[in-house]
Amino acid sequence: MSPRPGFVLDVDSSTPPTLFWRGERFSLEKLPEGSRVIYAPEPLEPLKDPVAAIRHALTHPVGDQKPLPDLLFPGMKLTIAFDDISLPLPPMERPDIRQMVIEQVLDMAATAGVDDVELIVALALHRRMTEPELRHAIGDRVYDAFAPNGLLTQHDAEDPDALTHLGLTDQGEDVEINKRAAESDLLVYVNINLVAMDGGHKSVATGLASYKSLLHHHNPATMVASKSFMDQHRSELHSANWRMGRLIKESGVNIFQIETTLNNDTFPEAFSFLQKREWEWKARDRVNYLASAAALNRTPPRVARGIFHNIKAPHRMTSVQAGEVEAVHKITTENVWAQQGVEVEGQTDILTMGLPYISPYNVNSILNPILVACLGLGYFFNLYRGKPLVREGGVLIMTHPTTPDFNPVHHPSYIDFFEQVLTETTDPVVMSEQFEEAFATDPWYRHLYRTGHAYHGVHPFYMWYWCAHALNHLGAVIIVGGDAKTVHRLGFRSATTLTDALEMARDVVGPSPSLTHIHTPPILMADVK
Amino acid sequence: MSPTKGTANSLRSRRAVREESALGFGDGPGPLERFSPRRLTTWVGRQRFPLAAPTWPGTVVRPAPKHTLGVDYDTAWSRRYPVRLARAVVLDNITRPLARVVASPEIRGEDALVGLEAPVIFAANHASHLDTPLLLSCLPNRFRHRTIVAAAADYFFDRRWKAIAWSFFLAAIPIERAKVNRRSAAVAAELLEDEWNLVIFPEGGRSPDGWAQPFRGGAAYLAVRTGRPVVPVHLANTRHILPKGRTALRPTHTTVTFGQPLWPGEGEDSRKFSLRIEAAVAVLANEETTDWWTARKAAADGTTPSLQGPDVATWRRSWALEPHPGDRVETTGPNEDGLKPDSRRPTWPKRPS
Amino acid sequence: MKSLVLERNVARFAASRVASLIGSGRGAGVGPLRLLDATAPEPLGSDWFPVKVLLSGICGSDLATVDGRTSRYFEDMVSFPFVPGHEVVGVLESDGVDAHGQPLVAGTRVVIEPVLGCAPRAIEPRCPHCAEEHQGLCGNIAFGRLAPGLQTGFCTDTGGGWSEAGLMAHRSQLHAVPEGFSDRDAVMVEPTACAVHAALSADIHEGDTVAVLGAGTLGLATVAALNTLVRPETGHSLIVGAKHPAQRQQAARFGADMVVPPDQLARAVRRQSGSLVLGGRLTEGAHVVFDCVGTSESIAESLALLRPRGRVVLVGMPGRVSVDLAPLWHKELSITGAYAYGQETTIRSGAPRSARTFELAMEVVATHHLGELVTASYPLERYEEALAHAGAAGRRGATKIVFDLAKSGRNPSIRPDGKGTP
Repeated sequence: MSPRPGFVLDVDSSTPPTLFWRGERFSLEKLPEGSRVIYAPEPLEPLKDPVAAIRHALTHPVGDQKPLPDLLFPGMKLTIAFDDISLPLPPMERPDIRQMVIEQVLDMAATAGVDDVELIVALALHRRMTEPELRHAIGDRVYDAFAPNGLLTQHDAEDPDALTHLGLTDQGEDVEINKRAAESDLLVYVNINLVAMDGGHKSVATGLASYKSLLHHHNPATMVASKSFMDQHRSELHSANWRMGRLIKESGVNIFQIETTLNNDTFPEAFSFLQKREWEWKARDRVNYLASAAALNRTPPRVARGIFHNIKAPHRMTSVQAGEVEAVHKITTENVWAQQGVEVEGQTDILTMGLPYISPYNVNSILNPILVACLGLGYFFNLYRGKPLVREGGVLIMTHPTTPDFNPVHHPSYIDFFEQVLTETTDPVVMSEQFEEAFATDPWYRHLYRTGHAYHGVHPFYMWYWCAHALNHLGAVIIVGGDAKTVHRLGFRSATTLTDALEMARDVVGPSPSLTHIHTPPILMADVK
Repeated sequence: MSPTKGTANSLRSRRAVREESALGFGDGPGPLERFSPRRLTTWVGRQRFPLAAPTWPGTVVRPAPKHTLGVDYDTAWSRRYPVRLARAVVLDNITRPLARVVASPEIRGEDALVGLEAPVIFAANHASHLDTPLLLSCLPNRFRHRTIVAAAADYFFDRRWKAIAWSFFLAAIPIERAKVNRRSAAVAAELLEDEWNLVIFPEGGRSPDGWAQPFRGGAAYLAVRTGRPVVPVHLANTRHILPKGRTALRPTHTTVTFGQPLWPGEGEDSRKFSLRIEAAVAVLANEETTDWWTARKAAADGTTPSLQGPDVATWRRSWALEPHPGDRVETTGPNEDGLKPDSRRPTWPKRPS
Repeated sequence: MKSLVLERNVARFAASRVASLIGSGRGAGVGPLRLLDATAPEPLGSDWFPVKVLLSGICGSDLATVDGRTSRYFEDMVSFPFVPGHEVVGVLESDGVDAHGQPLVAGTRVVIEPVLGCAPRAIEPRCPHCAEEHQGLCGNIAFGRLAPGLQTGFCTDTGGGWSEAGLMAHRSQLHAVPEGFSDRDAVMVEPTACAVHAALSADIHEGDTVAVLGAGTLGLATVAALNTLVRPETGHSLIVGAKHPAQRQQAARFGADMVVPPDQLARAVRRQSGSLVLGGRLTEGAHVVFDCVGTSESIAESLALLRPRGRVVLVGMPGRVSVDLAPLWHKELSITGAYAYGQETTIRSGAPRSARTFELAMEVVATHHLGELVTASYPLERYEEALAHAGAAGRRGATKIVFDLAKSGRNPSIRPDGKGTP
């Protein structure tokens, strides 16, 4: 049976309760009659022979780019950059796509007699990856061949010796990227396109950029003007990246972009009920749900986190295309849409969502309160094309425990952001003016970012800017089941149950509101008409 | 448990249940809180999703259900080795001893099977649910554990648990009683070719009144199709073990008679062959009530009494089967109506009911 | 007429010590403190004037005394039996003269500067410290015409604040309550003076990072004093570690730049100073830390927060502590105490100015309405409750607990909102 497309359910009295994620837990909630629930399309058929598909893509590039073997010659300087730990979510079962692609690229490079090859993790201001994470992403063969010789590096946006300033765009934006990448004869970028935001010029212009360069588009003004940042054509974030990308190209950096898409087969068998429609749950799904819900309710969050972060997704590759950045990304975006697009008729007064345990920034870590806000208001809210799912002045209701727990290794500046910035202001503009620079230039954060496994000091600000569009748009944000103090610190309202939250929402949007629930994960993109 | 304690308990559990109602646990007291089967069933009935199966939203078009029961039930699992082993253990250690006690079968004509090569088709008359276990119990070892039973799909395979139970205990496969279903016939033929013996009741169901029904073509069709022989079998007296309207078993003496295997003739069609089979079973029936020689003679004269009884009013057909007070067992031939009023009389004296 | 009297009784001291393990202030019921019928203290001479007490505060050092936790260092600086209470606002019962030599008529409200230095003890010539008006440093506190006692409220001759019978105050101790001060404002002058003295002794420079550890009465008063008297000149940034929500609001109101829970103080100071972290200590950090708690832990944390050559000012009364001094040696840190009051030199608009600590304290109290920190008042009879409340002040949303001597026998008035007048 071919995979079914996305689906918008109209809730009636026969509809069973709907699954809501609550961090490391989940619950079933009865939605009012007349509500809508948006379900993602079912996982697309993966490529039968991914390796052959990759080789085909490399030798049949799209756009104005030569086949990869023609670009490789002895004595050249080749750099392979690839996406970091933030993709895909959850991390995929081995072999990771990056491993499969990089192995093919290296194979061709070896055939062509290329000696000077370096691998760079394009992590921008994200945390450096650990050895096990790298091994998982690029495979043991590649890791063992490059890492011991120092040929596998992680991009450092704070290393003045490893950055090159390429110039200013016509809007006066600094373009400063990784020196090795800029000075190579060929830069091969290996991408995984999990959501429509990823890829394109953003890969190099953001992934390998310096703080100085990122500053121009990672700010509240840009984010408010990105409606949404998942929709490349209406995203100021992308416009800026595209300007920069073109400048990089004009500066003579030859980029061979390889982009891949995944199907949304997100959870392994035992948790597959999480991606099924509730009325189609088999006895086995119900048993799995009951058992895991009951067990997780009795499991300390630490342990539950451990269990969930061990989940490897059975994602499979659905497409791979290579060549010139813009031509490649056009195809990629279409393929992402094919997997994630759901047509939705009209906006809603209240949008509900259950927030899972994971976001791009807490793989093997804790979804701290700032990331909770970012996941809900930044990511899930922006999973639309056209109009936001919720109308202007509407209410967003999210379910998540939102405890003030932080991973001090990964998110040191988040703790200070939570205690010292959010206590003063939750306004992205105000905080960018008053606090951002101090955090961005803090030597300790810089030290932890460069030598440890910490996100850059400024990163929590970016997370909050990600919410800027939603904060501007929404009338109220309610978190169900969250730690009340923490929720208030975020500037949101706290409710104990979904019913209470709906009552509170009525105060904002009127007595008989329309309600839409976005049933993610798996990720979907609402095409709101 | 003191009353106060009980109250406190039920209060607590109700609260707990309320708290968990978000999880979908039903309301009301738990199943173990003063147990009784009735409470349990009401409790079970009151459960909702996810403890119970979800209801389908009225706004979603429900796809036609996939048939996995009835004729479409896949019994392949019941012929895997571990299942066969388990079934053999049950058959030899439970079913056979039980059959001995309940039916005390007298087996006749077993020599007809000597030297017969598997696979074969056993075609028997059918009067009782116990026919199948009895017949299986009476098969020689080399057939018994490699025999499947053709069972009515609409009766034995209409519920999942029934389908599982019958496939397991009897190695039953579903067939349609009324007509030759292409799929079920194909499965049966395939299994025959795979050296499985087949028990089939060509009447297509249990007799409604004690007299047999006309034989349907299934057994003959399979024999013709696969070229395997049919062994006619007659089961006598089984209908008294579990009479209609009773739930308790009534031990009775029964007789199982095997006839000479019948091979489909060259160019013989299954309808004709079916009649031959029916006739063979009728001879065996006659032989059971009379003796072999009488039965042979009757067969040669074409005067073997029909299995289906006389074509007379319903009450007379029944009357003819029931024993009458003061009747004696006689071994005379049929009277002018073809009725043998006392021939089917049980050897066991009838108890006042 | 009742008064609370502290007697020398070793067994009772021991008992209160044990009881105080349950909670600060719990030693009151079993300890050496007793409620007795009292008579007014004997006249002491022509420079001494009787004062009828209106309000008298419960100080951290009082709690330590009642609980038997006070360092034995002070053993010879007190004389038993004494009436505690050195934070006093009262009414002059006869005509008198104040510390500046101004005449005061009977009925004038006064606050007492409690230190009993050379002047009240009629010691001539005065010690060098008293000569320079730094009475807090006077070493003659056990000598002269009075029984030993470092302050009013620790001396058997003068009486103390926790008495309906009043006390005797020397002219050098008397300060008239300024116009517009409520009784509650006035009772806050003495603790504020301690904070003022600490704030001014800390040698804060322009642009320094300053941290205050603890947000009880002294901590909050220190914040207020820094904000009023020091910040206009130095523009330092001030970070306060406060445990309880009410304290955090007050600290912010009194001018702290950043108020964080105590466990976040180190992070906040680190970020403010742009410091690195080495072995759990800041490599740079704060220039000055005011430790308004005074335990081993708070002193150790204060040291960890300091940059090289930084300074910890102990505002709260410490006792015997155990602290690793390696960082003190290695980073050339200083620990200084800040006790009592005297004459201060402040810089105002670039010019030095000399003033009594008490005068500056009144300025601070007036600026920040510190009378609002008085959250509950109790009659003497309910002293056990009062001390327990004071011992759990922060947790119960309170800051300063006082005895209201004018309304003994009545119900306590508890004003968690800190509004209204007692």
